[in-house]
Amino acid sequence: MTNDTSGDVRLSGISKAYGSFTAVHPLDLTVPQGSFFALLGASGCGKTTTLRMIAGLEEPSAGTVFLGDQEVTRLPPYKRPVNTVFQSYALFPHLDIFENVAFGLRRRGIKSVKKQVEEMLDLVQLGEQARKKPHQLSGGQQQRVAVARALINHPKVLLLDEPLGALDLKLRRQMQLELKRIQTEVGITFVHVTHDQEEAMTMADTVAVMNAGRVEQLGSPADLYENPRTTFVANFLGTSNLIEADVDSRSGDEIVLKAGGGKLVLPEARCSAPTTTGGKVLVGVRPEKISLTHAHDAGEIPAGRNRITGKIADSRFIGVSTQYVVDSPVCPDFEVYAQNIDRDTRLVPGADVVLHWNPAHTFGLDATQSLLAGTVGSVGIEEEAAV
Amino acid sequence: MALVNWLRRNLVVIAGLLTLGYLLLPNIIVTVFSFNEPRGRFNYEWQQFSADAWKDPCGVSDLCGSLSVSLRIAFWATLGATALGTMIAFALVRYRFRARGAINSLIFLPMAMPEVVMAASLLTLFLNMGAQLGFWTILIAHVMFCLSFVVTAVKARVMSMDPRLEQAAQDLYAGPFQTFIRVTLPIAAPGIAAGALLAFALSFDDFIITNFNAGSTVTFPMFVWGSAQRGTPVQINVIGTAMFLVAVLFVLASMVIGNRRTKQKA
Repeated sequence: MTNDTSGDVRLSGISKAYGSFTAVHPLDLTVPQGSFFALLGASGCGKTTTLRMIAGLEEPSAGTVFLGDQEVTRLPPYKRPVNTVFQSYALFPHLDIFENVAFGLRRRGIKSVKKQVEEMLDLVQLGEQARKKPHQLSGGQQQRVAVARALINHPKVLLLDEPLGALDLKLRRQMQLELKRIQTEVGITFVHVTHDQEEAMTMADTVAVMNAGRVEQLGSPADLYENPRTTFVANFLGTSNLIEADVDSRSGDEIVLKAGGGKLVLPEARCSAPTTTGGKVLVGVRPEKISLTHAHDAGEIPAGRNRITGKIADSRFIGVSTQYVVDSPVCPDFEVYAQNIDRDTRLVPGADVVLHWNPAHTFGLDATQSLLAGTVGSVGIEEEAAV
Repeated sequence: MALVNWLRRNLVVIAGLLTLGYLLLPNIIVTVFSFNEPRGRFNYEWQQFSADAWKDPCGVSDLCGSLSVSLRIAFWATLGATALGTMIAFALVRYRFRARGAINSLIFLPMAMPEVVMAASLLTLFLNMGAQLGFWTILIAHVMFCLSFVVTAVKARVMSMDPRLEQAAQDLYAGPFQTFIRVTLPIAAPGIAAGALLAFALSFDDFIITNFNAGSTVTFPMFVWGSAQRGTPVQINVIGTAMFLVAVLFVLASMVIGNRRTKQKA
């Protein structure tokens, strides 16, 4: 199975332009056989266009698409061994569930479809609903029909275009696990398009973060989260606190930076930008890595930790944790997530605090990019927020 | 007081029944008088019951001939207008081309124009072309004015169709032809059927345009008009009643089929 490459998807130099608008810039991407791959990005970033070029529903302006060793760039969709689960499912309203699922088999001239269809409907737990029409099913059931209708054809690659977007949160969580289970069971390559970073991280082995028609970064969910290489990725996947700092000196494999009045330490291995003494660098740290100590207890903070002082501007209790917004001289809205283990009652808005964290949790980014890329309200995410 | 309350509660039902009566009364009169045995040439006064006309519906000369002409024209006009109209509707909804806007509004013209004007201008056209008036000129005229109705009916349906359904079909190994037969056509079918029914009804009872362009051919509406000058045979009522019954049967049949389907699903 591991040496089988027939389910590989290889895109080389693929791009798509509509008139003067470039939806996808030349893109190279390899999705290995059997993996669960997510294309993550805000709406309009080119992720769906990329998916549709793999499906054959969109013709690339340049570049080639390979499925395994076969070039399929110019093949129409009905000749490609891939199937798609469409956004809002696109179930045939005039056919019942059984015939919807049997559609692909019948078109390929397979006569006895009953056994296969029934098995497939059982796999998605819809055996009872076979003779109903799509509109008689709930959203979650329709979604499962869409998956069954695609999977029954044993495609080399299954393409999923925001398949969970229309479901409510609880059902979405359940379907995420369900889809992951099915993928592990059938071992087919899944390419999943989503704008939901949590969904991408929960389900996929590999995530490609797309922005404005380009892949910003590709890697495992943990790698992308811990080592973002651009401010877009840092802000789009979870939340990041970014501080502009000056490179002061180096000691061993650590870079010492100056920010505001204080010093911060950044491991060189975690800095994706070139650093020259006197130059600038963006320092990032995730909100849950930070500890919050009241200014009166500042002496108890162990040595060797990165520290920043500030004043609590706001706090939100959300059950599992408390989220603080800290106003500090180096960063106006510092986000800190503290687990609700021992709550210090002095940590209320207005209190003076010291933020501190292990330097190993610091990452460094190129200072020439926008601090706000990938945050809600910045270009590209606006649309999503409006929807 | 009680009466007012009762009226208030049942106002909708009463209004519905009155409307229904208003719509059905002429049909009932036609049916009742199909069993009349008129004394003179006119079938306007009730005399006595007789089923003679039902036993011999073609008893009046030329009546069944004109009926058959009308049915044939309606059939071919429906076929032609539905085929052309469906294609035009798809083209107008699916494709962007030059003069699309102009065609979109021109299609509505036959619906808006007074029929007499259209009839007269068509006649002028046919005469100038040296065409012989008759079955074919009637057919051409009927296809022309039925077209707008078919296009309107089909267009509404095609516009509400999700283009992703066809993409899904293609994704599931259906080529262009299979996609059309298996997905596009069945989904557009209710619109096409509605357009076809409209076309048939319009063509079957058109009088003005037909009368101008018929030459020596006589259609059923023309026959009724013509005979009304000299006297009205009971057979006209028989044909009218029969057509009404056929239409009612169609509606009932479709209701029964629809009910059975929903029951099966439940």
